[in-house]
Amino acid sequence: MNNLCTDIGWMSLNKKGEQLCGDHVDIVPQGENSTVVVLADGMGSGVKANILSTLTAKIISTMMAEGLHVEDCVETIASTLPICAVRGVAYSTFTIIRIIENEEAEIIQYDNPFVVLLRNGKNWEYPREAVEIGGKTIYKTRIPIQKDDTFIAFSDGAIHAGIGMSLNFGWERKDIIDYMEMMYDESFTAKTLNALLLDECNKLYGGQPGDDTTAVCVKVRERCCVNLMIGPPSKPEDLAKMHEAFFSAPGKRIVCGGTTSTLAAEYLKKPIIAQLDYLDSDIPPTAKVEGLDLVTEGVITMSKVVEYAKDYLEENRKYSQWGYKRDGASMIARMLFEEATDINFFVGRAVNPAHQNPNLPINFNIKMQLVENLCTSLEKMGKKVKVSYF
Amino acid sequence: MKVIICIGSSCHLKGSRQVVEKLQALVKENHLEDKVELGGTFCMGDCVNGVNVTVDGEKHSVSPDTTEEFFQKEILAKVQ
Repeated sequence: MNNLCTDIGWMSLNKKGEQLCGDHVDIVPQGENSTVVVLADGMGSGVKANILSTLTAKIISTMMAEGLHVEDCVETIASTLPICAVRGVAYSTFTIIRIIENEEAEIIQYDNPFVVLLRNGKNWEYPREAVEIGGKTIYKTRIPIQKDDTFIAFSDGAIHAGIGMSLNFGWERKDIIDYMEMMYDESFTAKTLNALLLDECNKLYGGQPGDDTTAVCVKVRERCCVNLMIGPPSKPEDLAKMHEAFFSAPGKRIVCGGTTSTLAAEYLKKPIIAQLDYLDSDIPPTAKVEGLDLVTEGVITMSKVVEYAKDYLEENRKYSQWGYKRDGASMIARMLFEEATDINFFVGRAVNPAHQNPNLPINFNIKMQLVENLCTSLEKMGKKVKVSYF
Repeated sequence: MKVIICIGSSCHLKGSRQVVEKLQALVKENHLEDKVELGGTFCMGDCVNGVNVTVDGEKHSVSPDTTEEFFQKEILAKVQ
């Protein structure tokens, strides 16, 4: 057991004109610290490829997660997949990345481009052992992992990007390595790295992919805990209990809300210094309190964070806004979406008497909904979220 | 002279940003940077009367439209 965890991001581009993707990614966690990730690329495109790759990925991930050998998985696939009427074979390539107890990685590859491993941001060619299973050559690797190891698996759509259009021979694996080494930054999440790769593929294809293109990024990173407190407790006598829980939790600390941060500053016996810089015209300025990593206004800032979270899970178009800006909402977004792996919310249910006015567009229910929505989004991002109400 | 503007949620919605920006501009125009210190604070607990602004501890209710008048009467007149 160590302090590492895996951060996984994946995305597919469909071949132009296709509604279904012929690549499939399946992620199966095995307990707390192990995960099986399978990327399968079915022969052809459209419905048929989709069925082949879905079956392959599902069978492998389920069998591997149950601890069966790769030989058994491959045999099962060979005898299960429907046979293509045109070509007379059943075929789907696959890549398996299995992270074991966050200490070792097992990579099993069949006919997909070889997985790229970035270690400290540089390409590292890991050893590969060729094994014959049922007439297929399969490459196996088992290596110990290090912090910040980044495994990037992709379907052949990625190395064919731009073929005959912007590039003569497509975007070869070594080109992808060069590009990813250049773009790599330690602070990037798996999802961000993955999006960088696929955006480039899409660009090379001129926005019209000639093949289904999928990439999966598995990043081994250190756990990072972030604690966020919002709202005073519904019973004032619970304040000490709430503060104790919040300040004793390990990790970074964010406090949202005027009253909440005033109370936290009192607890720390430090002054609260509000900033007057409007870095984003919609978001109220932040404040500084010694001992807290970030102090912001409550409801308005939080609704912006929720908006960013929803977008991050879908199109991720607003990354260019929150990715670098220094306003409260952007800073919370970066800390929660990028830095944190474990997030503890300390939510006070007090009703702010100042907000109980029909002329104000703020009310208690909105605040509770915001927290719930944010938690749901963060869980979808693969974060471990814990909420305590006071 | 210390002028503190509330930047809490509800004052923000009532336009505290505009108030802050106008006051910053007015202070600069009148070359009062040495005499007037502008600051922010979270909720003063009087949201109904926002935007709340205190001048040396005395609370006033200001809106973006009345900022200029407020500046003339409460800041410029008193500081000179």
